[in-house]
Amino acid sequence: MPEDFDIQEIAKLASIELNKDELKRLHKELEIILEHVEALSNIKLGDSDITIHPLGIDLTLRDDKVEEGLSHDESISNAPDRKDGYFKVPPSMD
Amino acid sequence: MVEINNITIKKAHEGLKDKSFSSLELTEEIFKVAANSESVLHAHLVLMHDEAVKKAKETDSRIAKDGMIGELDGIPLSIKDNMNLKGYGTTCSSKILSNYISPYDATVVKRLRENGTIFVGKTNLDEFAMGSSTENSAYGPTKNPWDPDCVPGGSSGGSAAVVSVGSALGSLGSDTGGSIRQPASFCGVVGFKPTYGTVSRFGLIAFASSLDQIGPITKTSEDAKIIYNAISGYDSKDATSLNLKSASLPEDSSAKVGIVKELMGEGIADDVKSEVERVIKILEEEGHQVSEVSLPMTKMAISIYYLIAPAECSANLARFDGVRFGLRKDGNTSYEMSDKTRAEGFGDEVKRRILLGTYALSAGYYDAYYGQALKARNQVVNEFKEVFKSVDYLISPTTPSTAFKFGEKTTNPLEMYMSDLCTIPANLAGLPAISIPTGIDDNGMPFSIQLMSPELTDISLLNFSSYIEKIIAFDQVPSKWRKEP
Repeated sequence: MPEDFDIQEIAKLASIELNKDELKRLHKELEIILEHVEALSNIKLGDSDITIHPLGIDLTLRDDKVEEGLSHDESISNAPDRKDGYFKVPPSMD
Repeated sequence: MVEINNITIKKAHEGLKDKSFSSLELTEEIFKVAANSESVLHAHLVLMHDEAVKKAKETDSRIAKDGMIGELDGIPLSIKDNMNLKGYGTTCSSKILSNYISPYDATVVKRLRENGTIFVGKTNLDEFAMGSSTENSAYGPTKNPWDPDCVPGGSSGGSAAVVSVGSALGSLGSDTGGSIRQPASFCGVVGFKPTYGTVSRFGLIAFASSLDQIGPITKTSEDAKIIYNAISGYDSKDATSLNLKSASLPEDSSAKVGIVKELMGEGIADDVKSEVERVIKILEEEGHQVSEVSLPMTKMAISIYYLIAPAECSANLARFDGVRFGLRKDGNTSYEMSDKTRAEGFGDEVKRRILLGTYALSAGYYDAYYGQALKARNQVVNEFKEVFKSVDYLISPTTPSTAFKFGEKTTNPLEMYMSDLCTIPANLAGLPAISIPTGIDDNGMPFSIQLMSPELTDISLLNFSSYIEKIIAFDQVPSKWRKEP
């Protein structure tokens, strides 16, 4: 278990606001889970291959042809706020 | 009057074909069961009665005029609420998507539509398919039709319960670490997870993309095959979709069966082991060559899974930030808006997994956690390949125990995670796997077995499990729902 396990910093990276009680509880729960998965670090795997697609197959891209898809209005139809066909959000900085 | 108690898709198709009943009569009966059971079970989040009745009437007229499209024509099915069905909500049982309306059909929904399916409704799940009991649904849990004090399993608990009780003739679930097979097992029905990539994930809200797979929950393996045939096949909208030929295996008593040693030991309840041994004995009596095989890395499967799945989930769920869809909580900056939206919109288990995944992917820990898990996953894949050189199918329990009571595993997340012990390996290796009910335990809850086979042998696996079903002859349904109250 890494000594500098900082739940506050992880929450910031994950963009989730957590109160003090949640931080305390989640810190404890993550500790339990990380302790369990620690068993993996004891296996010597060296530079063996990694698995991304379980069947070891490369991802395929469809042909670069125009196809019928969602209209612009449909694409933004679920946006909580929008203006002139754009997503509307608060500023990125104060 | 349609007698729908325990009716299969196959039998319903025959009934529609020989005009014993109409699709409208069948559909109305299904909604009667839903009306009688939903107040207790809470298996559907949405029932689409009016549209279903309209569609059934249109189907009857079309069938009278042009004949039937196929075996799913006029058949009422339900869809797990993490797949898009145009014009309806897709909540993923999360508050963060409470107001989301699907602007398009998932490929599986589109294909079922083209096959004439009638949609009954959208079914309950653990939030974003993360859980093994439906206790993580933001809209309340689903109850097990065999005993409402017990969980139906999860995450596709709603999809399994509706088939068990008969408020749909079949359903679609999604399986990332056992989310089709485990609830199917707890509810005494069949749950099939196909080979990764054979069924398109387009329109399925992603949880862990390298593990997620859509599949059917039905009363029989034969029915699962009917749905699988309709929804599988290459889809250019899913970059992981396969365009490969299937392979075949022996489907009768000449099939060689391997017992997974590691899934018959520690952590598996004695009565579950005895039930699997009973089935193995029957297979031996039928002339099968049955032997014990070893997959040592399956002992590491939970650890591998709980690094890879949360890592992928933390990336996939980054999109829920209050900008493009779903809930938004106000903030002075877009960052503050995102922090508050996610705090309010996600439940405890989802937050836990996002944080775990964020940590596993963070600078300085990536290689030690995520990188190591990807290497270990490769070992799992290789071990399966080696074992399948000597056997055709693998047999194991589906779950370490039969259905547990509500609240029994909610205090320690690891205890809940352990209920996927037997199902996770097939997801890590991308293999087809099926759970079929075989008997009833001392408390009246269903037992089941899991069968796994090599990649792309889905049809053989379905045929083989169908053959086993006929030998075992398990045909019970939850007694409470046999007759209308």
